[in-house]
Amino acid sequence: MNPAVIVDGLIGGLQLGLLAVGLTLLYGLGGILNLAHGQIAVFGGIVGAAVLDADLGMPAAAVAAVASALALGLVLDQSIMRPVYKRRGEERILLSLLVTLGVSFVIDGVLVWRYPSEALTMRVGTGGAVDVLGITIRQGSLWASAITIVAIGAVIVFLQYTRTGRAVRSVIEDETGAQLVGVNPATVRTVIFGLSGALAGLFAVTQSMTSPVTSSSGVSYTILALIVTVVGGLGSARGALLAGVLLGVVNAVSAAEIGSYITAIILLAAAALTILLRPAGLLGTTR
Amino acid sequence: MLLEVEGLDVGYGSSTVVHGVSFHVAEGEAVAIIGSNGAGKTTTLRAIAGMLPGSAGRITFDGDEVLGEPTHVVSRRGLAYVPAERHLFPGMPIHENLSLGAHPDKPDPAQLARVFELFPRLEERRNQSAGTLSGGEQQMLAVGRALMGKPRLLILDEPTTGLAPKLATEAYDALAALRSDEGLTVLVAEQQVPLALGLADRGYVIEDGHIELSGSAADLRGNPDVQRAYLGIS
Repeated sequence: MNPAVIVDGLIGGLQLGLLAVGLTLLYGLGGILNLAHGQIAVFGGIVGAAVLDADLGMPAAAVAAVASALALGLVLDQSIMRPVYKRRGEERILLSLLVTLGVSFVIDGVLVWRYPSEALTMRVGTGGAVDVLGITIRQGSLWASAITIVAIGAVIVFLQYTRTGRAVRSVIEDETGAQLVGVNPATVRTVIFGLSGALAGLFAVTQSMTSPVTSSSGVSYTILALIVTVVGGLGSARGALLAGVLLGVVNAVSAAEIGSYITAIILLAAAALTILLRPAGLLGTTR
Repeated sequence: MLLEVEGLDVGYGSSTVVHGVSFHVAEGEAVAIIGSNGAGKTTTLRAIAGMLPGSAGRITFDGDEVLGEPTHVVSRRGLAYVPAERHLFPGMPIHENLSLGAHPDKPDPAQLARVFELFPRLEERRNQSAGTLSGGEQQMLAVGRALMGKPRLLILDEPTTGLAPKLATEAYDALAALRSDEGLTVLVAEQQVPLALGLADRGYVIEDGHIELSGSAADLRGNPDVQRAYLGIS
């Protein structure tokens, strides 16, 4: 097997992890499974594309993509998600599925209707490929990986070492316990909805460095993020990263060895197998 | 008066469990609420902590009405509630559980040192996850976490839940030490009446959601009804 395939898989997998982290954190914070996650990423991507079209340059486009996805996350949290938060337990999970599914249809519909041919493509560097330890890697992939690693590192540092990050983890561990020590779960949820949006927007940016982010890619991003989240363990940020990288490699290898038509089936099979063997996911906690 | 509860009604859904309960806790006092399982002790405390809405009555903490405030707001006022289920953060090490106790402020190193002095076991195991601790250690951690916020009032619900008799006695020894060393104000709900009356200055007896009896700990210990129902003396 060509080692470049593995490297490709790792690069793609890191980005899958980036996409899934926001989804898994939000779920961990009290059962909000955001089925519009991929659409939020694409929304950011299309805003970025509009900024590129206006000749404002790539850095501005990247900032616009992240900022607009972050803002969309905050708007959802403060508006349509409010009735969802009033519910508890399974009711909340079900209502969150319905509401965010509706949101995903709306975002998809508006984007495909208004901007059918818009796509975000960022050509970074000279556009050529470089040689790393004998493996040819496109410059776009290198940039995407570097940005993703820095972003994921920042998220881990935030969660592990800041007081806000600790408060976030406390709500994931025990919401009542968190309230008893003075943490407001609603504030934490807003922070994470925003963060999750920003990471989705950043995913659109890094993705666009290797392949275009089109206005209709939302559904496939959401499904990929869901698969990664389930395999990694709902609520586990590290699990999402690990699962992202693993599935990225599985994806690349099956595409190269069998054919890209089969990869979706193989990814789903991997998710199903994980649920059978480890219902809580790779690093999830059973509750 | 630090805590004043007046005519409190609390329930779950349409059924009222606590009826017109009134009591108070003055600064520096230790007060016990005693009663059997299901008498309404936990329901009362949960209402004080903001975890249940009251349907009638008032709860004031240091003169401010707190009934109806969300739990995190009540907590930040300096009213620390340690529920019987403890609600620790099981996947986090002891030191993180303690740090969170000081939220949203930075943990005070002096306060942390005091908690470790009170519960040396917690210092020995500071990097161990809370979920792997024994019941007694979890209780120490729950109290320690509550103390990290330098509360003005510590409210404990059945601190001896799941503890062997020797550990239960130790838990009350630690509470007694807290009282004598720091003058901490304590409100404790307890089924193990001898332990609670040993700690408290005053007590209230709650039955079927009503306060049936109140008085100094010594009076309650001497009361024939209390002796028969809770102290195993006939």
